Amino acid sequence: MRRVEAIHPGRGNYFRDLARIHGTPVLLVDSQKIRHQYLALKAALPGVKLYYAIKALPHRQVISVLAGLGAGFEIASSGELELLRQVRINPRSTIHTHPIKRDRDIRQALRFGCTTFVIDNTEELLKFIPYKHRIGLMLRLSFRSDDAVVDLSRKFGCPPEDAPELIRLAARLGIHIKGLSFHVGSQCRTPDMHVHAVNVCNQIIRQTHDLGAAPMSLLDIGGGFPVGYDRQVPSIETFTAPITQTLKQLPLHVTVAAEPGRFLVAPAGTALVSVIGKAWREGRFWYYLDDGIYGLFSGQVFDHARYPLAVFSATGRRYPGVLAGPTCDSIDVIAENVMLPELHIGDIVLGRQMGAYTIASATGFNSLPPAKVVILDGWRPDETRLAPARTMPAKPRPA
Amino acid sequence: MNRFAETLYDSYGQEFRVDELLYEDKTDHQHLVIFHNAAFGRVMALDGVIQTTEKDEFIYHEMLVHVPLIAHGGAGRVLIIGGGDGAALREVAKHRQVDEIVMVEIDSGVIDVCRKYLPGHSAGAFDDPRLELVIEDGLEYVTRTDAKFDVIITDSTDPIGPGESLFGERFYRACHGRLLPGGVLATQNGVCFMQLEEAAATARRFRSIYTDWHFYSAAVPTYVGGIMVFGWASDDPQLRRLTRAEIGRRYLQSGIETRYYTPEIHRAAFALPRYLLEAIGKACNAAC
Repeated sequence: MRRVEAIHPGRGNYFRDLARIHGTPVLLVDSQKIRHQYLALKAALPGVKLYYAIKALPHRQVISVLAGLGAGFEIASSGELELLRQVRINPRSTIHTHPIKRDRDIRQALRFGCTTFVIDNTEELLKFIPYKHRIGLMLRLSFRSDDAVVDLSRKFGCPPEDAPELIRLAARLGIHIKGLSFHVGSQCRTPDMHVHAVNVCNQIIRQTHDLGAAPMSLLDIGGGFPVGYDRQVPSIETFTAPITQTLKQLPLHVTVAAEPGRFLVAPAGTALVSVIGKAWREGRFWYYLDDGIYGLFSGQVFDHARYPLAVFSATGRRYPGVLAGPTCDSIDVIAENVMLPELHIGDIVLGRQMGAYTIASATGFNSLPPAKVVILDGWRPDETRLAPARTMPAKPRPA
Repeated sequence: MNRFAETLYDSYGQEFRVDELLYEDKTDHQHLVIFHNAAFGRVMALDGVIQTTEKDEFIYHEMLVHVPLIAHGGAGRVLIIGGGDGAALREVAKHRQVDEIVMVEIDSGVIDVCRKYLPGHSAGAFDDPRLELVIEDGLEYVTRTDAKFDVIITDSTDPIGPGESLFGERFYRACHGRLLPGGVLATQNGVCFMQLEEAAATARRFRSIYTDWHFYSAAVPTYVGGIMVFGWASDDPQLRRLTRAEIGRRYLQSGIETRYYTPEIHRAAFALPRYLLEAIGKACNAAC
């Protein structure tokens, strides 16, 4: 059964104040936590250039914070590219990694100044013939993982055994494959698949050294670095230690990149939603919240996440309850069969670890407005005084 | 101190020291910047790609304009597509026998910015009484107009960007219909060593439309990667077969002053390297 933490109401003043100021539903994003996560991952993957996967939380201030630390940016659509343009990101520190692109996506990225792209099949390779003098390609390999929560090698990726042929074809066409990339999945439980993938890539880079127009000099190890939702995950240094060891086997001319999204922003996000309705049905309290799986909790559907939840209550007694979202749809339920202290209309329910793939995949169903996103500079729930907060639109402007 | 790194190519590129940022316009659709650099003077870049600089623009604009005008010999009506910086216009205006210049630029903002920040490019030519300035898409203009011209010049951006339609078959065909007998089209066609496909694609289109076509070249320092090429398309094969003496006579007669263009360069510019001839499907430079 899903656990809901009961926090002493005295410690809820900080959140109640924020909820009062900004309204609910609201996603609070702690920029200091993002900095901390970035620096932790940098330290755990020495020498690896980090490209933030902005799809996780495509927010201008988040991008600015990471740009300030020297991060690069991973984009997968022309809309994401426009967001980077608005934040004035140097296009040289961006990579376009969607394996499937329309010609106009390629042209828009080139106009922006992004010249690194990803392919995983012949059709996609041929799309780059007109631009072959301007671009550098990464070939994405697939490594199927039974281990990851989200398997990213099913839909995309070239089987490693087919790679040499594709590299030879590219060489014949005069198209430069400058490196390899892979995504073993999201929320990996162990680094075993990363290690395996790096080893295979290392072999391919060495075997094809003399095939292409130039040796491959880039390896992009994707993401998959886990954060804790409903279970403990290893510390990032523990997780990456075997990967770092394996990366040392690569030829010296190869630089390594990674595309973290979730790891950088998930722990920085806290959602505040309010109880807007309450009913006793069939022996359980049903609590209706002002956001649900069509909004901030969309990651429970699309991202298979179960966010740690908390309420503010002093009473020890717990009753069976259901936390439901505000839409008319009966699947809009955040948590069923949970034991909760009795809540009242206006009470706050808090969701932790909600920075990644939450607001990013929220829908506008029922014409409910999206939750507001508030970037905080520092997280001070133990203080009675609020940290200075600035507000920004919840979603980027459409291009 | 800031630096500007051109993002034209993934594995190669030029970089400038930005001694002073003079103008920046960053919209959702394009990024225009003008800065001062010690070696090249004022430099304008669009979407991360160098468009023109004060120091080396004369090479490009003199070759773009004087080769077709001198070759034509008696051009009275000239159409310029693009060229918002005004430098192609400035060079055309040097020719006294030209009595009508139509310039079609899609973005009036570019003209305003260039008149202010690159005043030497137009050097007052926007005030020339022979000029009719049209703010319109170049393809739309040549498709709709009834006017005909002795010389059409396209001074465009690269095919990736706002200039895309000026490299298409529809545009080349419409220009063909706008040329007077003995007329010629001259186009900006990129740095062929780096962008061979650009010239090759234009060659395929010229082949089906014009009786006589070729390319001619010049080396412009900030269009990096070797020579750049200009497209040449006409129904009059004699225009690119003038003798050195005839070109020299016309040059003297025109009275124009140039810093790059000479009659010898005019003739020599049509001699293309072998790899380019192969890309455009020609066996030789001579009578092909």
